[in-house]
Amino acid sequence: MFLYYVDLAWRSIRKTPILSLLMVLAISVGIGITITTLNVYSMMAYNPAGERSEQLNAIQFWSQGPDTWDDFHRLITYQDAMNLRKGKVAPAQAAMFRSGMAVQTDDPEVLPRLQGIRVTDGDFFKMFEVPFVYGNRWDKAVDLDPAYQAVIGEKLNQKLFGGENSVGKTIYLNRKPYQVVGVIGDWNPQPKYYDPTSGAFSRSEQIFLPFSLTANEEFSVWGNSSGWKHEPMNNYQDRLNSEKVWLEFWTFLPTSEDRAAYKSYLANYVEQQKELGRFTDNKSPVDSVLMSDVAGWLERSHVVPEDNKILVGLSALFLSVCLVNILGLMLTKFLKRAPEVGVRRAIGASRGQIFSQYMVEVGVIGLFGGLVGLLWAWGALYALSARFGVSEGLTHLSMSMWLITPTIAVGTALLAGLYPAWVVCRTKPSVYLKSQ
Amino acid sequence: MLNIKPIFSSLLRSKSGPVLLLVQIILSVAIVANASFIIHERLEMMQRGSGIAEEEVLTFNVFNFDPSIDIDQQNKIDQQILRGLPNVQAATSTNMLPLSGSGWSSTLNLGPDPETAKSTPQYAMYLGTEHTIKTLGLKLIEGRNFYADEINKSVNDPGKLMIISKALAETVWPDESAIGKLLYIDDEQLEVIGVVEKFQGAWVDSDDLEYSVIHNVDFAGYTYMVRAEVGQHKALQDAITKALMKENPNRVIDDFQSVAEVKKLSYRDHELMITVLSMMVVLLLLITSLGLTGMVMFNIQRRTKQIGTRRALGATKGDILSLFLVENYLICLSGGVLGASLAVVLGQQLMKYYDLPQLNLLYPAMTVVGMMLVTTVAVVLPARRAANISPAMATRSV
Repeated sequence: MFLYYVDLAWRSIRKTPILSLLMVLAISVGIGITITTLNVYSMMAYNPAGERSEQLNAIQFWSQGPDTWDDFHRLITYQDAMNLRKGKVAPAQAAMFRSGMAVQTDDPEVLPRLQGIRVTDGDFFKMFEVPFVYGNRWDKAVDLDPAYQAVIGEKLNQKLFGGENSVGKTIYLNRKPYQVVGVIGDWNPQPKYYDPTSGAFSRSEQIFLPFSLTANEEFSVWGNSSGWKHEPMNNYQDRLNSEKVWLEFWTFLPTSEDRAAYKSYLANYVEQQKELGRFTDNKSPVDSVLMSDVAGWLERSHVVPEDNKILVGLSALFLSVCLVNILGLMLTKFLKRAPEVGVRRAIGASRGQIFSQYMVEVGVIGLFGGLVGLLWAWGALYALSARFGVSEGLTHLSMSMWLITPTIAVGTALLAGLYPAWVVCRTKPSVYLKSQ
Repeated sequence: MLNIKPIFSSLLRSKSGPVLLLVQIILSVAIVANASFIIHERLEMMQRGSGIAEEEVLTFNVFNFDPSIDIDQQNKIDQQILRGLPNVQAATSTNMLPLSGSGWSSTLNLGPDPETAKSTPQYAMYLGTEHTIKTLGLKLIEGRNFYADEINKSVNDPGKLMIISKALAETVWPDESAIGKLLYIDDEQLEVIGVVEKFQGAWVDSDDLEYSVIHNVDFAGYTYMVRAEVGQHKALQDAITKALMKENPNRVIDDFQSVAEVKKLSYRDHELMITVLSMMVVLLLLITSLGLTGMVMFNIQRRTKQIGTRRALGATKGDILSLFLVENYLICLSGGVLGASLAVVLGQQLMKYYDLPQLNLLYPAMTVVGMMLVTTVAVVLPARRAANISPAMATRSV
């Protein structure tokens, strides 16, 4: 019966090509706009941590003095990071910041290149599930006792060593030799949730160095540094001793008990620091600590710009205009065929049958509209990435859209078709038979 | 009795068309008014002047990676080389790029006691030399430029001088000249020696964009800005790289871009928003007018007899045309009024949740006018066909 209705629908569509085309066009444009904005939105709002979202927690402190910043800063001071690292209460933890240096190898042919570098602890790779192609993270001991070791990315390995196993080889960063201990695979979470402050959709770094080297090597800071009071900065040691915030601190806390325990540990820590004359604002130790899981962290980092939410809202309204539009066209089309319905009814078709026949026709139109709309969206995303250089990760049509698009399209069409189909199935056969 | 139902349903039919049209117009006006308001606001934002000769300023980074380089000495030599290159009008070091979205910012106190003194608004903290004003093409409107011997090596050196933007000067000292005024970091003094007419900071979305200060510090080994005619930039890139690498090969020189390019990148999201919203507005008007055309055509088919009868009774073609137009305008106007109120409500919601200014009532009004124009075209085409219906044809079957 369904196939018969599909056949009937196809005939009817072919009978009124222009009207049908208008309907498909209206649906497709609405769907195209909606899917474009929805796709960008869903890519931005994506949480790459998946089920580990709650277990990974970024630590924030209210370390500022009174009447300065009126919110938690996303970064923390070097002193706090070092104290937490020494405390070692979390099963895994990593302090981090972004730096950069010029990379060279023993091969004089390789021109020095400037590379972004993530300076962090060895647990980073475990916490964020970074896949290794060769070798492994640096030894745990290196996090306490610095060694000149590095983990590099597959892309850089390709450029420097032609993609072979480079574990044990030497790279030079600002002329200083570092031994490669591991090569990680293609790992580029979008959004870059472990550090959205320096571009939420920028690529992840290709070089990772031990955080324990920071004080010795005085790595330049390529990320944000903020201070709430004036502190003279004559050298790197001043930076390390200062109240300036410039580090991210992540912990891995598997269970909710772990998280509660860590929170009280942090509150305890703040209390100690208050006795030492830090954390001078009038806030209780518990309120001076903020732990955000990945979802909360992305929210606090404003990874999804407001503009995007406005666009999704407006495009949903746009789709509703299209819906009303199709409703009108559908009504026009169905009423035109009322005499035909009258005959069918007279021959014995029930109202339900007429209704479902027309709903099938509407659904078919919706499906066509959805498919064309998907093409529109694909084209629009392509144009956006070409014209505005929007990050590839955002303009890639997500797989789920192949399912979501037809669902929305058919759903919209069916919604729009309800009323016209209801009107037409109530046709009285007698009226039309009489006039023939 | 049996006839009541068909009559009722035919009434319902003729009503549902206009009602649908009404709903569509209401929604369209609400969307278009808000969208065009946002578009206009963003366009205005993008058209603000920066006070900088954006096109002519070429910027690039120098990264010295050899630890044995004396950065300060190298910086001096590099700038001399840059100024000596043909076609270079001016060159200077800087710690940050205007309109780039990243850089330094700070506040200063108006008095020596940090406990009691008021502070300036957040300003973009440029470090520059006596060449900065010329390189960026800023217009000095009061006071003087730095002298060459006043330029410090570090922000911590004494003898701190400042050239500030007029916007900052007027905010801090509304009624008097800023020249000679002092600002403080704790008890350390900074003196204002010059005011430039306009000089924007780095963050285009910030309310403090117009507040900038140039400090007399030659910031070594980071970013340089060179002023040259636009046509020379391409050749200059190679010349600069070659000359600086010849001086010392242990560095990476890259990221050549003009301030205009930097600016474009910073405003990219707004440009994107404008493009998407404009697309939406155009498509919306298109869809609405297509739907309208379809519905009027259907109406005419249904009312062929009625029109024919009216023509037979003496109505002119103009009468028929105006019948449809008046019908359309009635729907449009009522839809417009309702849509405008919906637009205001929608605007208020957007304002509540997002950082948007209040919707100007001009936009819904203009949208309604625009809608009436578009629908006129959409109605006139099929209505002319209706007017051409011959009375004889229409009444023959009666």
